[in-house]
Amino acid sequence: MGAGVTFGVSAPGVIAVTGLHTFIGSQLTRRLAGRAAGVRVIGLDQRRPIRFAEGARFAKVDLTRPTADGDLAEVLAAERVEAVVHTAFRTDPTPDLELDHELETIGTRHVMNACAAAKVKRLVIASSTELYGPRPDNPNFLTERHPLRGHPHAHAVRDRIEMEAMLADWSSRHPDVEVTVLRHCWIFGPSYWSRVTRYFALPVLAVPLGFDPLMQLVHEDDVVNAFERAVLQSCPGIYNVVGRGVLPVSTLLRLAGKQIWRLPGPVLHRLTYFPSQGQTGDPPDAFYDYLRYLWVADGQRGWEAFGEPVYSTREAWISFVSSRRMRRYR
Amino acid sequence: MNDDGSPKGTTSVELLDADRESELAAVREALAGLRREIQLRFGAAEVAQADGERSVPANELFSELRRRLSTLGMSERSGEVDEFGMDEIVVRRARPVLELLYERYWRVDLAGAEHLPEKGPCLLVANRSGLLPYDGLMITHAVERLRSQSARPRFFVADWLMTLPFAQPYLARLGGVRACRENAERLLGAGHFVAVFPEGVKGAAKVFRDRYRLQRFGRGGVIRLALETGVPLVPIGIVGAEEAHPVLFKWTPPGRPLPFVPVTPTFPLLGPLGVLPLPTKWMIRIGAPVDLSELGPQAARDELLLSRLTEDLRAEIQALVDAGLHEREGVWS
Repeated sequence: MGAGVTFGVSAPGVIAVTGLHTFIGSQLTRRLAGRAAGVRVIGLDQRRPIRFAEGARFAKVDLTRPTADGDLAEVLAAERVEAVVHTAFRTDPTPDLELDHELETIGTRHVMNACAAAKVKRLVIASSTELYGPRPDNPNFLTERHPLRGHPHAHAVRDRIEMEAMLADWSSRHPDVEVTVLRHCWIFGPSYWSRVTRYFALPVLAVPLGFDPLMQLVHEDDVVNAFERAVLQSCPGIYNVVGRGVLPVSTLLRLAGKQIWRLPGPVLHRLTYFPSQGQTGDPPDAFYDYLRYLWVADGQRGWEAFGEPVYSTREAWISFVSSRRMRRYR
Repeated sequence: MNDDGSPKGTTSVELLDADRESELAAVREALAGLRREIQLRFGAAEVAQADGERSVPANELFSELRRRLSTLGMSERSGEVDEFGMDEIVVRRARPVLELLYERYWRVDLAGAEHLPEKGPCLLVANRSGLLPYDGLMITHAVERLRSQSARPRFFVADWLMTLPFAQPYLARLGGVRACRENAERLLGAGHFVAVFPEGVKGAAKVFRDRYRLQRFGRGGVIRLALETGVPLVPIGIVGAEEAHPVLFKWTPPGRPLPFVPVTPTFPLLGPLGVLPLPTKWMIRIGAPVDLSELGPQAARDELLLSRLTEDLRAEIQALVDAGLHEREGVWS
């Protein structure tokens, strides 16, 4: 992707990517490293991934350490990094609430401070439209200006909202750094794997009875495209990265031929309480409320800045479903 | 991925291409299979819809039952919805029921059809009553009868209805949209008729004693919207809806699952049966459209003008309602 698009003089020469074990981080490193000369990529993580992009350099940085900002600033200054893409966030929340907070909120703080110290010109940060929160009083399309209300029980969402507030404050004090925040909705595709896709890959699904909100999905390739553009072009601001089109949850599940168990809220809560606490550290409504109320984002700004998405919501879902089928037959 | 399709002894580049080709072929095949399956599922739904109830062989009874149970509460619907969740097939299936309610049950008497603009965008402003949005559905149906099925208006529903199980999916599929400014701007931008009820929950919560006395119009949001977007306002008075659910008094239960529980002669007493509205005689009176576009969007900043215009609009709808009340012979005829 990206062929035929010219990136102006603003394209940075040296790019650092944090979080090589996340989907976005690893894919983006591979894409940027494969790009023609002129772009040098440095991957940052706690440990070197087993499959690491050829042509990229690796540097070890642990964002959960108290001195991470100093370590990171040293690396960034030594390599003369011009742009940083920060994707070192948990794909799934873990029961270790403190470590999650340490990585997501404090880790981002370290990245911000290191960027300021090393005079980095551009900072791209991954966020999520989950931060708007599933609320019955949401408008049908949430714009980037809408307040982030999150979910009271989802600790990962809470941490990220805190992170975004901190980022807004920091960026007002450092106007010389271009900050781009990309809020993507639930990612679906052949290779993306998270608690959400794991849930939707089940043959039998339990969903809240009596609710059927509209859902919006984005394909993994479109997300990586948006990140690639965001780091290579100059586009400061906040963008929703979503696919076109919306579909009710029940229609998605029917398209995939899943069996649906519609359970009343309290029953669903009791049945899934312990597995949910064990896996994510949150009560189940932190996930099921996203299947109960509306949280669709308005992607117009993102589409204008990063180009039309290749896959619609429906196509992203079908690509996910068909890849699951092929995996079963292999 | 295996490359058994490629001939032996080719160079590595060709082998790579062949490998890629076979991979693509596999993807195409899987997609074609998926499409066939979708066709099968949705095709079957269409046929079932056309045939009505079809007989099921005894040996398939269990799987049929399971299929019905798994789609309980969600009858057949199309695979596509518009961006606000309105579903063509659900609307098509609901149309005869709405027609029955309109023609036979409430025997709606419509006047002032000549005032309705030919096409949107346009705000239809009406008085609100009853917790369930029957009035919104009837306005929608009336406009659809006067214009075309493609001009079906969207009606606004209160926030708390969106938290009510079962109500939310159905209202969204029938064209109900949560009442808020962002949604109104988007719908008007797309050129829709939008039915709004500026009385809001205050209107829905009217007790029988206060029937046909219009409540305060929120905070003037409708007028502000009309000034900023320049769309015409069409006042509509509905008579009859306020007696379909005569609320004797309001009961606020502890825990508040609803803003309040309306106590009608039938509601908590007869259980779910009490939710059925009474067959009163309805009248819909459409008034002359109000065009505020010459005042310009900057007028929206003048709070005093805003409240005066809001009050004018309220008086206009009140007059339409009063005229309707004067005209009718009784509650039931």
